[in-house]
Amino acid sequence: MALTLNDRLPIPPKNAEVKNVTCEFCIVGCGYKSYKWPLGKEGTYKDNALGIDLSQQQPTYGEWCSERMYNTITDRDGGKYNLMVIPDQACVVNVGQNSVRGGMMGVSTFNAASPTRDRLKDPQIFRGGMLMESSWEEATSIIAKVYKKIIDNDGADEISHKTFDHGGGGGGFENTWGTGKLFHAAIGTASASIHNRPAYNSEVHSSREMGVGELNSSYYDTSISDTMLVIGCNPYECQTNLFNLHMQANLDGSTLEAKKKEYDKGESVSKGKIIFVDPRRTASITNSIAIAGKENVLHLQIKPGQDITLMNALVSYIIEQGWEAKEFIKNHTENFDAMYKVNKVSLEYASALTNISVSDIKKAAEWIAKPKPSGHRPRNAIYYEKGIIWGIKNYENVASIVNLALLTHSVGRVGTGVCRAGGHQEGYTRPEYHGPSRQNLAVIDTDIIEGKYLVYSIWGTNPFGQSIATQRLRNAVSKRSQIVKDAINGYHGNDLDELCDIIYNACKSGGLFVVDVDIYPTQSSERAHIVLPAATTMEMNLTSMSGERRMRLSEKVMDAPGTAKPDCLIAADIANALKAEYLKSGNKVMAKRFEGFEWKNEEDSFKDGFAGQGSKMASQGGSTGTLATYKLLRDAGNNGVQLPIVKVENGKLIGTRLNYTDGKFGTKSGRATFLSTPQPAMPKQVAKQVKRYKYWVNTGRINEVWQSNYHTGRLEFTAKRWPMAPLEIHPSDAKELGITSGDIVQLNNDYGSTRAIAIVTDAVRKGEVFGAFGFQNSIINDLCTDYVDPDTKIPFYKGTAANIVKVGRSEGLIKDMTFLERA
Amino acid sequence: MEIVEAKQTRRDFFKFSALSLGAVVATPSLIAGTAHPGMSVYGGYTKNRVGSLAQLKKTGELDFSYPDENALCKAVYVNNEVKAYSIICTHKGCPTVYNQEKAMFECPCHFTKYDAKNNGQMVIGQATGALPRVLLEIRGDDIFAMGVDGLIFGRINNNVG
Repeated sequence: MALTLNDRLPIPPKNAEVKNVTCEFCIVGCGYKSYKWPLGKEGTYKDNALGIDLSQQQPTYGEWCSERMYNTITDRDGGKYNLMVIPDQACVVNVGQNSVRGGMMGVSTFNAASPTRDRLKDPQIFRGGMLMESSWEEATSIIAKVYKKIIDNDGADEISHKTFDHGGGGGGFENTWGTGKLFHAAIGTASASIHNRPAYNSEVHSSREMGVGELNSSYYDTSISDTMLVIGCNPYECQTNLFNLHMQANLDGSTLEAKKKEYDKGESVSKGKIIFVDPRRTASITNSIAIAGKENVLHLQIKPGQDITLMNALVSYIIEQGWEAKEFIKNHTENFDAMYKVNKVSLEYASALTNISVSDIKKAAEWIAKPKPSGHRPRNAIYYEKGIIWGIKNYENVASIVNLALLTHSVGRVGTGVCRAGGHQEGYTRPEYHGPSRQNLAVIDTDIIEGKYLVYSIWGTNPFGQSIATQRLRNAVSKRSQIVKDAINGYHGNDLDELCDIIYNACKSGGLFVVDVDIYPTQSSERAHIVLPAATTMEMNLTSMSGERRMRLSEKVMDAPGTAKPDCLIAADIANALKAEYLKSGNKVMAKRFEGFEWKNEEDSFKDGFAGQGSKMASQGGSTGTLATYKLLRDAGNNGVQLPIVKVENGKLIGTRLNYTDGKFGTKSGRATFLSTPQPAMPKQVAKQVKRYKYWVNTGRINEVWQSNYHTGRLEFTAKRWPMAPLEIHPSDAKELGITSGDIVQLNNDYGSTRAIAIVTDAVRKGEVFGAFGFQNSIINDLCTDYVDPDTKIPFYKGTAANIVKVGRSEGLIKDMTFLERA
Repeated sequence: MEIVEAKQTRRDFFKFSALSLGAVVATPSLIAGTAHPGMSVYGGYTKNRVGSLAQLKKTGELDFSYPDENALCKAVYVNNEVKAYSIICTHKGCPTVYNQEKAMFECPCHFTKYDAKNNGQMVIGQATGALPRVLLEIRGDDIFAMGVDGLIFGRINNNVG
């Protein structure tokens, strides 16, 4: 019998359709090329779309399609095609390189005979005790009738929603505009929250209020910095090609020539150094040491929650040494003295709190601020991410880092920046949100648990794995959704108005009407009464911007499965259905609110939002976004344009590499503002867990798992590699608990319990474990408290405590796992 | 706001990778074998003797090339088993270095690591799959390569090159 080996792919013929695709995963936004051609047709080794001689072994870094960059797809007309999605050598972001995530875009596409087969294909409604197929007309009509009744009787704020606001991953300016226009303007609810958190808020309020936008630099500037300071951030696993190309090139000296060209005359030039602030040893750290040697890498292994103290100590020591950027502070900032009065700490005090030696704090300060041999100030590329954002107190955590950046003029200067490293790409363009101030925002998921709201609309996210106290949230929504389900189950008629009255009445009796829009079935669709299928990247044209504000058009390559639609057009369907309901009832005033959704395709949404409204709303494109068109962006290809757009010259979009080079910041005075950032105490909910439970639980991402694991939890390679969330545990803790790598362990605290697979490693410290975030079958956020920063309503996902017990072992589960050291 | 437009050119990002190339020179031990068309639906593999089992047990690793002289492979003796892989990293095609102590193939370019004991499973890194596995047949002291499961980096078909 023949054995089928995975040892061959078909050859794309010269006439294969080639499109630009921006990676749908992390914020770096690497460029890819898709090749699509009919199944059964092939080019030849010498004559093919890749333009290379495929009869030859390609060299290291040569063009190549791995098995997982390939898929077979079927369009709605029944046409069957081969599809390759391979990294673009001509893209300046990734220069032909891929991460494990982006390299699987091909296999992530819908294929009815593959692990992506369970994509949502058609609208569904809950009838007869289960989700049943529906039509778009029926499903949106039910939503409209229920929403109208609520708006008219109870007010729009009773419609709560959790809606993605990102770029990439099926998001983008088209879809944030469509959903934002629906909820903010047409429905007019302020009961909003964002995909990964329980309220409607920025993760970087303080940076913006200090006048410093959070994406102010470029990857090129990172590659020509003297010192990279990376705080609560693991770029090798989470912003892969920022690390593998730009940071690595800086560390190994590949950019020395560029530094000579870009720096001031006579300024000292040397290979880059890197400082990591992280409670555990990550692959980013060990890889940096492999590239640059121990002498150029500093790991400040901080005690969790003490980042503010460390930043304050660095600021204090730099001022004591007289290394601060005096001219810049004098001419371009304010509130310096007030900040220093509060933030001043001694190194000894900081060392005791942070668990970092005085000499290491001094060394870090020297790398960041001590004048170079030429007398010039070091150029620092500062990155922070979820270790800070989802830390002990979001507002001060971020602000304390921006203080350090302002002190050392690490913003608005070549080779510098103070940026969030980012998770997903960005794509925000929405009408203004008319909610309360950041201190008074509703924490929607806590409200839901407490029985508030009549509707929970969940759009392109799964809050049941990624919010605060997720086990409580799942239980609460299950109960409240069931009240509505029971009511529906008791109705056997066909009159939609009657059905919607029943739904409404059930909601008024403690029930919750759940609408879920997504690409896969999730824990949200299990609890939903209406499920609508969305299109994702490559199934529609989408514009997003990256961590260096690089905007690209990621082109439509294939049809979405079934009758799935772009989110902006789903929003339009709902708006138009509401408009029809109001017109039917003779309420022209309300019907008018739902006008302006006459979009035929996603480009109409783009023209209406990003390119249409300019500075009239909250848009990452700003007032010059109006210069962008699909045509110009298509012509700009995978290199796109860095926002804001400056002008269009000879049919080319000209953008902005670096912000604030003129020293004018985003405050009323134009001066960047220092903020006082005292170290807060441990929040009482968290302190209580620490008192009652033995192990500190830190959480974070792993390389091979994206977001809620929606693709990667299905794809054969990654699902076998990580069948459940791993839990890193120190060897001495493991010994005490009788745990070996591969054991299933259970964690519990006052908020919930979850399971994980133990990985015994000294990458974490004794008494501190690290659990992977995002798994839907082992949810680490079940242990998370309900604490949020009172000033921003951003959670402390990274801080809780739990007890751990060994459950047992299932060899089948871990057959394809490996337990070798990752860092 | 002052504007600085990006003037990025393709830089030499790949300096580091050059370090590794000299370190993994395989000795081609190709011996003309018989065609073995039953092994793959695509066919084309020949059955080649790649080395001695006794020798492999002694040294722990054995370099060879398969299915042709441009395809660097390594057989390793781990957990009392013989395993063999294409050593070319399936991320960007750098030759990996075998760490015998850890039974791990390590790529010096972007630090992708593969578990030699567990079918080349990726420990961490940016490849999109395991190392391609060389299928073996062992007769007495002779180790024969029979085919390769998994696409070798830089090939559209394992039997080119």
